[in-house]
Amino acid sequence: MRRILIDCKEHIPCNPCQFACPTHAIVVGEDITELPHADSEKCVGCGACVAACPGQACFLIDPDFSESEATIDFPYEYLPLPPVGLEVEARNNLGETLCTGRVVKVLSLTAYDHTNLVRMAVPKDLVQQVRGMKPWRG
Amino acid sequence: MKQERDIVCRCEEVTREEIMEAIRLGDDSLDAIKKRTRAGMGFCQGRTCKRLIAQILSAYYHLPVDQFLPGSIRLPIMPIRLSLLAETVDGAVESEEGGEVHAPDSH
Amino acid sequence: MKHYDVIVVGAGPAGLGAAIEAGRQGAKVLLLDENDRPGGQLFKQIHKFFGSREHYAGTRGFAIGRQLLQEAEEAGVEIHLGRRVWGIFPDGSVTAANDTESVRYQGSYLILATGASENALAFPGCTLPGVMTAGAAQTFANVHHVLPGQNIVMVGSGNVGLIVTYQLLQAGANVKAILEAAPKLSGYAVHAGKVRRAGVPVLLSHTVTRAMGDGSLEAVEIAQVDEHFAPIPGTEQVIPCDTLCLAVGLTPRVELADVSGCDLVWSGPLGGKLPRHNRHMESSRSNILVAGDLAGIEEASTALDEGRLAGTRAAYRLGLLDVGTYEGRRAEIQGRLDRLRQGPFGEKRRRAKEEVWKA
Repeated sequence: MRRILIDCKEHIPCNPCQFACPTHAIVVGEDITELPHADSEKCVGCGACVAACPGQACFLIDPDFSESEATIDFPYEYLPLPPVGLEVEARNNLGETLCTGRVVKVLSLTAYDHTNLVRMAVPKDLVQQVRGMKPWRG
Repeated sequence: MKQERDIVCRCEEVTREEIMEAIRLGDDSLDAIKKRTRAGMGFCQGRTCKRLIAQILSAYYHLPVDQFLPGSIRLPIMPIRLSLLAETVDGAVESEEGGEVHAPDSH
Repeated sequence: MKHYDVIVVGAGPAGLGAAIEAGRQGAKVLLLDENDRPGGQLFKQIHKFFGSREHYAGTRGFAIGRQLLQEAEEAGVEIHLGRRVWGIFPDGSVTAANDTESVRYQGSYLILATGASENALAFPGCTLPGVMTAGAAQTFANVHHVLPGQNIVMVGSGNVGLIVTYQLLQAGANVKAILEAAPKLSGYAVHAGKVRRAGVPVLLSHTVTRAMGDGSLEAVEIAQVDEHFAPIPGTEQVIPCDTLCLAVGLTPRVELADVSGCDLVWSGPLGGKLPRHNRHMESSRSNILVAGDLAGIEEASTALDEGRLAGTRAAYRLGLLDVGTYEGRRAEIQGRLDRLRQGPFGEKRRRAKEEVWKA
């Protein structure tokens, strides 16, 4: 089951995640520099917040994708889109390549407003650190 | 590859060395440097170089940079053709009937 | 002569906000801009904005621009484009020229929203073709849809440098490094994360010392800097590149405010000399209000709301709003501005703004 992970630490005045969430699982509150609070019990894993976050700091994690792999859904705004099955460099927020990831799904919904979601499978022990991939240039 | 000169005012091609020389000769303001070197007198009217020259002055005189800014600013604040300057027309004038005509008179 | 209640100079977010609010209250509003299309820098912004829902947060900048133009039209704002305002005179008249004519306009209130210009750096070779401001590179890529070059070095890790880097990567360029003279990142870490994940290194305590090339840029020399930002000899490296972008801060464009007699004050955190103003956005000249980056460098969302404050104030002083309605509206906008000026990044700007109000 995919659940939200929010990596938002800077107290930026911002709250689109709260209004993107259809199940009200994310609360920022009246003071928009508060960090978002996510209730993973309410999260249905739709990915609306992943696409809406201007800081690209919302992710979905499925810790039990397979025996050995977990997946992370991250926002992706480069073209062309990577094909399913492509092996890519999985990176953390500092740009360090942690492992090889595999693209398992690419979602491009109209509601995402041109931000795509890439679902990438990585070894289970690294999923909490991975935040994206080296852009694929085709 | 060529080594390029250290140009501070690109509109008038004034180098850092020329500005330092002006300061050594006693110039202590943007206006004084402008009058001696033409720095800040070009098409962009100092928008690019004024802050840089103020920083050079600030470092030389050990004074806060804000004491040298913004220098004197005069009309017209943007380049404009002299013929247009001489023939500035009034904005649309409302006639008796309420319709609009362009006033041809100049001032 | 045709008389306007309010003339707004500059059709960026602040000017549009001012014109929309004054227009909605029934003021006859003229909005002047030197560019051929309104929106200021908004139409170059292809990323989703921070802020609250009232600031259209989560929406891309150009889409916000379209929305504001729609609101301006509905508010009956008259927009004259391609007009460079070159003078303001003691009688309150404003003169603006395009290539074929210069026109004088008369208004009861003047709202200056002239924005900012990008700061430059002077170093050997800085006039070589290929060296440009980050804003120029953004215009190439996002307005004209051409890349300024293939291999790019960015100077400055503020939000402008980080965002333009991301957009150049999206457009297919290779950004080789971001140089930051300070020992720490100056923009948001989330923006830095986007470009770092794409493989762009952010080199802290580094600056450009020289641009080299025969006729156009072929390489830049960079060096590490000490705590006084002076290059440390022996740390030079050469990076081959065809484009060098400078994102080293913005300066309020005070020329019109200055020639119209507005007092200027200095604020380092807000970008330099700017027109002294109070919390109603009134300058030291009774009929002139200011808003947006001219009144202190902040962000598009703050500029928009400062414009709304100025426009509402002008409408109130024209007698178009009763005091109760005005106070309610003002408190609502000010509340939003206060919320944007919270947090570790906003706090500094809030304190600087309060200093200006007190000056």
